[in-house]
Parts: sequence; C-alpha cells; structure tokens
Amino acid sequence: MSALFYISSLIAILATIMVITRYNPIHALLYLVVSLMAAAMIFVTLGAPFVAALEVIIYAGAIMVLFIFFVMMLNLGNTTTLQEKLWLQPKIWIGPSILSLILLGELIVLLLQEKPTPLPVTVVDARKVALSLYGEYIIIVELAGFLLMAGIVGAAHIGKHRKKHLHRFLQEEENSHGHPPASQADNAKQIVDHKEPKSIV
Amino acid sequence: MNGLQFEALLPYTLLAAASLVVILLIAFRLSHTVIQITGFILMCAVMVALLQASALLPVAIYPIFQIDGFALLFTGLLVLCVMVVGLFSFIYFEEREENPKEYYILLFLGTLGAAVLSISSHFISLFIGLELLSVSLYALIAYLRNRNNAVEAGIKYLVLAAISSAFLLFGMAMIYMETGSMEFATIAKKLQTSNGHSILFITGTGMMVVAIGFKLALAPFHLWAADVYEGAPTPVTAFIATASKIGVFAVLLRFFQTIGLSNYPMVITVFLVLAVASMIIGNLLALRQQNLKRLLAYSSIAHFGYLLVAFLPGNAAGVQVAVFYLLSYSITLLIAFGVITLLSSREQDTGDLALFRGLFWKKPVTAAVLTLALLSLAGIPLTGGFLAKFFVLATGAQQQLWFPVTVLVITSVIGLYYYLRVISTLFGEAVPTPVKKTLHPFFYLTTYTSLIVMVVLLCWLGTFPNDVIEYINRQLLIR
Repeated sequence: MSALFYISSLIAILATIMVITRYNPIHALLYLVVSLMAAAMIFVTLGAPFVAALEVIIYAGAIMVLFIFFVMMLNLGNTTTLQEKLWLQPKIWIGPSILSLILLGELIVLLLQEKPTPLPVTVVDARKVALSLYGEYIIIVELAGFLLMAGIVGAAHIGKHRKKHLHRFLQEEENSHGHPPASQADNAKQIVDHKEPKSIV
Repeated sequence: MNGLQFEALLPYTLLAAASLVVILLIAFRLSHTVIQITGFILMCAVMVALLQASALLPVAIYPIFQIDGFALLFTGLLVLCVMVVGLFSFIYFEEREENPKEYYILLFLGTLGAAVLSISSHFISLFIGLELLSVSLYALIAYLRNRNNAVEAGIKYLVLAAISSAFLLFGMAMIYMETGSMEFATIAKKLQTSNGHSILFITGTGMMVVAIGFKLALAPFHLWAADVYEGAPTPVTAFIATASKIGVFAVLLRFFQTIGLSNYPMVITVFLVLAVASMIIGNLLALRQQNLKRLLAYSSIAHFGYLLVAFLPGNAAGVQVAVFYLLSYSITLLIAFGVITLLSSREQDTGDLALFRGLFWKKPVTAAVLTLALLSLAGIPLTGGFLAKFFVLATGAQQQLWFPVTVLVITSVIGLYYYLRVISTLFGEAVPTPVKKTLHPFFYLTTYTSLIVMVVLLCWLGTFPNDVIEYINRQLLIR
C-alpha cells in the first residue's frame, strides 16, 4: 500500500517537472492531466476516495477542458491547424501514456487486492466531508465564495475590452485622421511634451 | 451559530455585504459619486457595528474564529485605513480610468480578507483570508491596465504571492502532520504534551515565516516591494502599505502568542535576523532613491523591521506597543500617499523627487502636511512616529535585546538622511508649472480635510498618547 503511494508521488513529481519544461502548451497540458491523476491516486491511497473523485472530475476533467479550449481559441486559421497536427505527433503521446498506464496498473492492483492492508489512516468519505464543510466550516465555504468573486471581478476588469485598443503610434495616427486641423507639427509637439518631465500642478 | 456569535460577527458580515452592495449599485448603473458615498457610509456602519460588538466580546466561533479585543483593535484600524483610502480613490480613479467602479468591490473584498486574518484562529481561515486579500490585490495593483508598469507590478505580485502561498500551505501541512490539528490553541496544547522541539514543527514554522515575511515585505523577501509600490495606483499602494500589512501582522501576532513561539530560541533567532536585516537593508536601499513611492517602499521595509523588535519579546507590552506603532505608522503613510495622490498628473503618478522641488512655495499646506508625515516617519519628537519608536526601544531595552535595539538606533539615524533630503527638496527653488484645473471640488475638499484631520491626529498621538494607550490596553484585556 505504501509502495503504491510512493510510486504515484514519483509520477506526480515527474509529470509536473515535464509540465514546466515543455515549450508547447498542449504538451504541457497532457502532462498536467497525468500529474493531476497521480495526485488523485495519492488521495486514494491515503484513504480519501471522495477527494480523489473530485480531483479527477474537477481538475482533470473540467479545468483541463477549459485550458484546451483556450489554447484552441488562441490558435485559429490554416497555418495553425497544420502546426497543431505537428504538435500532436504520436511520439508525444508516449510519455504521458506510460505514466498513466502505471497509474492504471496501481488502481487495478488496489482493486484486485483480496485483503486490503490499510495504511494507518481513517477513511474520509463524502458524508464526513459534507458534514465538516456545512457544519463547523460553513463560514469558510461562504468566504471561499467571496474569494471566487474577487477573482472573477478582477479578471473581468482586466480582461475587459477597451474602447481604444490601439498601440500608441497607431493611436496618434488615428487622432490626426480624426481631427484634420491637428497637423503633424502639433503631433510632434505633443510627443515632445510627453518627453518633458510632467511637473505637478 | 447563536445570536451572540452572529452579533459579534456582524462587522465582518457587513464588510462582506458592502462588496455585494457595490455590485448591485453598479448593476443599476449608478454613478461613481453615489458608489463612493455609499461605500463610505457602509464603512461607517462597520465601525458602528464594531463598537456595538465590543460590549459582547470575547466570542469564539469554534474552531475558526476568535473575536476578542485584539481582533477588534486590528479590524478597527483596518477599516479606518480603508475609509481614508476610499476617500483618496475618487479623484484618482475618476480622472484615469473609464470604469472606476469595480475598484470598490475589490477594495472591500481585500479589506474583508485582512479582517478575516485578524480574527482567524485556525489555519483554514488564515489561508482563505490571505488568499482573499492577495487575489483582490492582484487585480487592484493592475487596475490601470493601460499603464505598462502597473501590469508589470501586478504580474510580479501575482507570481511571488502564489509562490509564498505554496510555502504557507507546505508549512501548515508540516505542522498538521506533527500535531494533527490546524487550530492554534489545539496545536499549542499538543506541543506542550510532546516535548515540542521537533524538526517538523520548526521547519513548518519556518516555511510559514517565509510566506508571512513576503506579505510584510521583510528583508530577504522584500524584492517585490519597490516595483509594486511604484507601479500600483497610489491609493492601492496606500492600501498595501497599511491595511494588507496590518491584517497579516495581526494573524502573525495571534499565532505567535497562542503557540507561545517565544519559548523556541530558534524561532526567536529567525525573527531577530529578519528584523535586523529589514532595518539595515530597508534603510540602506532607501538612501539613493529618486522616487518618493520607491523610497516609501524601502522605508516601510525598515519600519516593519522596527516593529519586529517590539514583537520579539512576545509579551503583552510588545503587543500594546505594536498596535500603537501600527496606528501611527498607518496614519503617517496614509498622509504621504494622500499627498502623492493629490499631486499626481493624469498620465503618471507623481513619484519622482524632481517633481516635488519647491512644492512649499506653490502649495504651502500640502507641503507642510507631507513634511510632517516625513518627520513622523523619521521619528522626530512631537509626532506619533517618535513616540512609537520610543516605545519600541523601551520594550526592546526592557527585555535586554541590546543587539536589535542598537541596530534600530543606528539605522534610524541613517534613515534621517533620506527623509530630510525629501524635505529639503520640498523647500527648494520652485520651477514654474502650469496650474491644473480642479475637477471635483467636493472630493478635493474632503481629501484635504482628511489629510488635515490625520495630521492633527498624528500630532495628538505624539503629544498626548495616554488616552490612546489606555484604550488599547483596555481592549487588549478582553480575551
């Protein structure tokens, strides 16, 4: 049992190292999925099957899909389609596949054990999680909601589409188009003004 | 939760509700002015609720919160800081940002995070509070997204804060592994029964100190401070320098006292090194700064070094001095950043010292206010800063911490140089500049008034500190 724990920890570390050393976001994501599954496996060996299931559903499932959607949306057009094909060559799959196969093997060993020899841990099931989340830690759950709100409001503000979205050089050009009287000399003067240290009041 | 707990928690609930109210106001497309005034009234309501709650204390919401006089003092200080920061924000963001309203949501959420830190007595509430504070700060720092240095500062803070959170979690996990509990009081009990000098516990505490040191910008973890202070919008800088640090310091103090970390010579040595390094590095790096915001960043590193000297003995006198120190320090920094906000032009924040040349001849009142703030930072008598530093010295000397006390005195003398340099710039020869039109007279007036009120408070603290100290003592006894 503890051998399984160490093997999955090793896989988690390996996969995470691979995540941060890949140059390609898709390759990194492949390893990230493996790393998250290894973490889920660790939870199983520690006697927390409910958290393990959550880990797989939320992280390896939902959040990964979100990541892949983003990568796909950022890469549109013919050239990038070709590039994507280049990215997903079969040899790329070898590493993540081997690691996940080991994890699968561990899970099978765990399930087929006749008499499980448990680690000295207490099993935490869904009921216990629910009782503590909605019992003594209810305020913390509510605060986590506020944390989420802070993240969303911040992201919405920073990611909001600006009214003027131009590079400053383009912006100056547009200004001179928009207002014919503003001559080249005026523009030049504005630029010079910018260079001078702005003094207070 | 029973009625008593609910009432004791009311200030915090109100603080949380404030952010929701602002969201609703934005949804109904109300103006910036309305939101600003509502926010101010809500903060006043939180203060009233705090005063109401002080009669009921202490109340524990087992196991996560411990609301006592100590928490009340820190939360009160936080809310006062946020009130002033909110006042400064109107003129600043109205001119610079096309949608200034979301700012208030983030500001109140950040305050909620800091307030939760001040009442937390459990690792989970500590972590959630800290994250709430940091997540709001990421967005607040990068709020003016058209400015490159603001975005740079935001990214820098994001990366470093994420790493420090990882350290914090790892440290918590180690302590949990050793003691089997995440609640401060239970951890203390477990440590007493075991002999208490385990490697795991010390390592875990060390990891947590890394995270706390990052948030307080103590010396080896201070690298973000100058860039973030400079890049962030000035009211946000004021928020980071005061509210965020007060919250983190509160939880550090509570953790330190409940666990009784002063019994561990190793931990004391670590904090001693941090304090001395902060004092020396902060003051030396500030010497050559040409930008007031960066200078204040380094000076705040040094000031938290001074504060740690009061904190080292781990006794009740230390806590009382720390609260007084934080009070005078927050008032002083709020004044300084308020002046910078007032003087900032639309394109950039007035940080460069050259822009302050001859301010006295153009705006005597503003210059005098800034001068007083700088004198208080330097610790000149008749200002709050002097008495605060004096009390710290007295506590240190009482516990015979001669080494940090000596460093404190020497570095304060070095510190005098750069504060006086700024002051002499203020009185230098004026360069003629165009007069800026005042756009929002009402809010300029309120900002000026708040500055004047704070200066009066600062001098009052420096001359008649007895009332405040007695009040602090009375509150600290409620536990």
